[in-house]
Amino acid sequence: MPTALSLHGVRVSYGPVEALHGVDLAFPDGAVTALLGRNGAGRSTLLRTLAGLLTPTAGRIEWDGRDITRWTAAERARDGLALIPDGKGVFGGLSVRDNLTVFAGGATDITPALDAFPVLRKRLAQRAGTLSGGEQQMLAVSRALLRPSRVLLLDELSQGLAPRVVGQLYEVVTQLAAEKRAVVLVEQYAGEALRRADVAYVLRRGQVAFAGEPGELMTDGHVSLFD
Amino acid sequence: MLTVDLALAGLGVGAIAALAAVGLITSYRATGVFNLGFGALAMVIAYLLWQQVRVWDWPVVPAALFDVLVVAPVFGLLLERFVFRGLGRRGAGPAEMLAASLGVLVMLLGVAILTWGTESRLDPPALFGGPPIDLWGDATVSRAAVIELGVVVGVALLVAAVTRFTRFGADLRAVVDQRELAELTGVPADRVAAVGWAFGSMLAGLTGILLAPHLRLDPFGLTLLVLEIIGVAVVARLTSLPVAILVAVAIGVGQSELTRVQLTGRAQNLLQALQSNLFVVVLLLALLLLPRMVEVGARGTSPWTDPGARGRLPALWWLPYPLLLAAPLALGTEHLQSAQQVPALAIVFVSLVIVTGYAGQVSLGQAGFAGLGALIAASLVSGQFFGLPETPGLLALPLAALLVIPLGLLTGWPAIRRRGLALALTTFAVAAVVSRFVFAQPIFTTGLRLDHPWPFDDERAFYVLELLCLGLVLLLVRRLHQGRLGRMLVATRDSEGGAAASGVDVPNLKVFVFAVSAGVAALGGALLGMAGRAFDAQVFDPIQGLIWFAAVVVFGVDSAAGAVLAAALIVGLDSGTRPGMSVIVVGAGAVLLSRMPGGALATARRLWDSRPPESAPRAPVRLTARGEAVRARVRSRRPAEAPTGDGAGLPDAPAGGVS
Repeated sequence: MPTALSLHGVRVSYGPVEALHGVDLAFPDGAVTALLGRNGAGRSTLLRTLAGLLTPTAGRIEWDGRDITRWTAAERARDGLALIPDGKGVFGGLSVRDNLTVFAGGATDITPALDAFPVLRKRLAQRAGTLSGGEQQMLAVSRALLRPSRVLLLDELSQGLAPRVVGQLYEVVTQLAAEKRAVVLVEQYAGEALRRADVAYVLRRGQVAFAGEPGELMTDGHVSLFD
Repeated sequence: MLTVDLALAGLGVGAIAALAAVGLITSYRATGVFNLGFGALAMVIAYLLWQQVRVWDWPVVPAALFDVLVVAPVFGLLLERFVFRGLGRRGAGPAEMLAASLGVLVMLLGVAILTWGTESRLDPPALFGGPPIDLWGDATVSRAAVIELGVVVGVALLVAAVTRFTRFGADLRAVVDQRELAELTGVPADRVAAVGWAFGSMLAGLTGILLAPHLRLDPFGLTLLVLEIIGVAVVARLTSLPVAILVAVAIGVGQSELTRVQLTGRAQNLLQALQSNLFVVVLLLALLLLPRMVEVGARGTSPWTDPGARGRLPALWWLPYPLLLAAPLALGTEHLQSAQQVPALAIVFVSLVIVTGYAGQVSLGQAGFAGLGALIAASLVSGQFFGLPETPGLLALPLAALLVIPLGLLTGWPAIRRRGLALALTTFAVAAVVSRFVFAQPIFTTGLRLDHPWPFDDERAFYVLELLCLGLVLLLVRRLHQGRLGRMLVATRDSEGGAAASGVDVPNLKVFVFAVSAGVAALGGALLGMAGRAFDAQVFDPIQGLIWFAAVVVFGVDSAAGAVLAAALIVGLDSGTRPGMSVIVVGAGAVLLSRMPGGALATARRLWDSRPPESAPRAPVRLTARGEAVRARVRSRRPAEAPTGDGAGLPDAPAGGVS
């Protein structure tokens, strides 16, 4: 599998505290990568760094062979890198229709999102902040459907949602991955993510503690990695 | 004069108020910041036009166009770039944004005072002149009022069209709602926010230029008028431009119609006060009675300011304070008289630390409490307090503080259900109402005398008395900040819900803190009055209260030591340099708050305690057989680029990718 996105010796700090200690990772194109680890392992930090919201103190990030370490979040987004952040993926003060309009980047056709998540059709005039958690997550994932993205980063997609909603979301994500995208799933709990993933990484205390196939992680007794 | 004529006369005031309110609301919706500096920017642009036309002889229309279309937007761009972008990027809450905008207000006031002085200019240039327009019979309407109303409606229509029907409007609302997510969506947030700030500042400039000809131009008057018009924006719930225009016109007309009503005696005085201060009354009533405003931008319960990480205090950190405070005792009488303001002002500032720093309740109205303390002390000493005989000054001091406490309780009551912007505006409105309906009324202020109390008549003895009072207040603060009560206050500040769930009686605690803070501010105000040997309403102007608040925030809103330093700095700068210099310094500090979380003292402590970033020890990495193979392959391909660490993780070269 060709690599879409890679990190080389990336270090990220919050003030005096270093959260990522020289991480080297590669995310293959056209596949789903599961990035796992317990709370505080550095998963969300890594995702935010990939998206351009955090700047590494050392190391570099490459995308299709280009060094994008100093690119802003908006530049990466316009070039096709989409991060759906944990629980904050919608504009709560805007209506659902306005959210979809902004997600579509000015395009007027928002039907792909409404076809994938029909429940949103009934909520178009409603403020996004008043939607249920599952509906908000559907709206957030709609961004990937409305704007052509080549790398999709999903932070805690399933957090706090009913299994039926999680299943629906993962179906859409799997379809997106099949369209030659690199999809990175960040989850605290492995189950659904590992079932959908082609590659798995486990972060522990800001470092990579496991890299391999999801099957190995599920069968080789790597439970201690999550301690 | 007929009622219709009065209504038409009131239209002019209504049009101006509508313009200011539309500008305030539009600026708020476009930037996500309720810009308290809006009025100050309007004032500075009005002064600039005065300078260009009256001093440099520029033609009025080109000068006004230059100011509105170039100077004001450029200023907005600078504000966005150097003040608000940093705050927006780190997700600062609305309260911190408000503090920064207060800094803008204070700094612009300082610039205006230093540049143009505090005297009133009676000849601000008018953009629209000409004879009034004849309607029917003898009825006429001001041409300027009609044009200004037209401008307001035009601006409102333009704003509505852009925000609802254009992609830029959607992007702008997205950036205001959640800047980070907007960036992730590909929206150039910095550029969009800059346009929002430029447009908001342009409206401020337009407001100032159109307002000035109707007023005397002075730094405080125009700024305060715009702040009072906030009431119109509050009635419109910070969202509806048509409602704002209608309410502004209604108040303008109502104000005009009130001149017809004639009463007798004190009732007439009260009516006149109501008539000339109707906007302030509307502001207070709207905040107390109407439903919550529709706020935009970062939501949540972030504390007033980011306290930042705490640094370690150096040894003997407290030593300079007693030395600093005792030093004036060695000065001559003239300097000692100036220095007498320091302990008094420090006590007022400490009252802010109690209510805002410890309890997290924004109070922009401490000048009102301090002024009431001075006024009541003067009334007691003069024997004019509701028939009480003349009271010795030393007894009047604590009595004044005790008598202001009930007003603190009343102000604390709205705080039970309000926070952030709504609470800040409510406390400011209370101070404005007290200033207009008490301090500005001759019935309360004539025939008062105030002096150093016996047996502290001597300048040095009075200064010692002030130091004793400050010491007592600092002991009270220490008591409030430590132990169970201190923990309850901090818990309430950080999370009201969490504190309530832990058994803290949050509503009563808030009211209690407001009451204590009001009493302390009143004590400081009474001392301030005694130091100046008179009650001076100017000292307790609501705008002065905003400057005090900014000063305390700059030095660390939860630091009593910072409050004492802030008082010393303000008095020292104004006595040692030019009046207004302290305002500029405080304003500059406030706009730099995004770069000094927790204020100047906390930043200094962090710098003192600065350490290089910690690197966590590397944990051994367990690679799978596939991982080992990939690592070996990558290293063999790029021997010159060894991994920076111990090789943790997988491939550091994407060439072959993960297979």
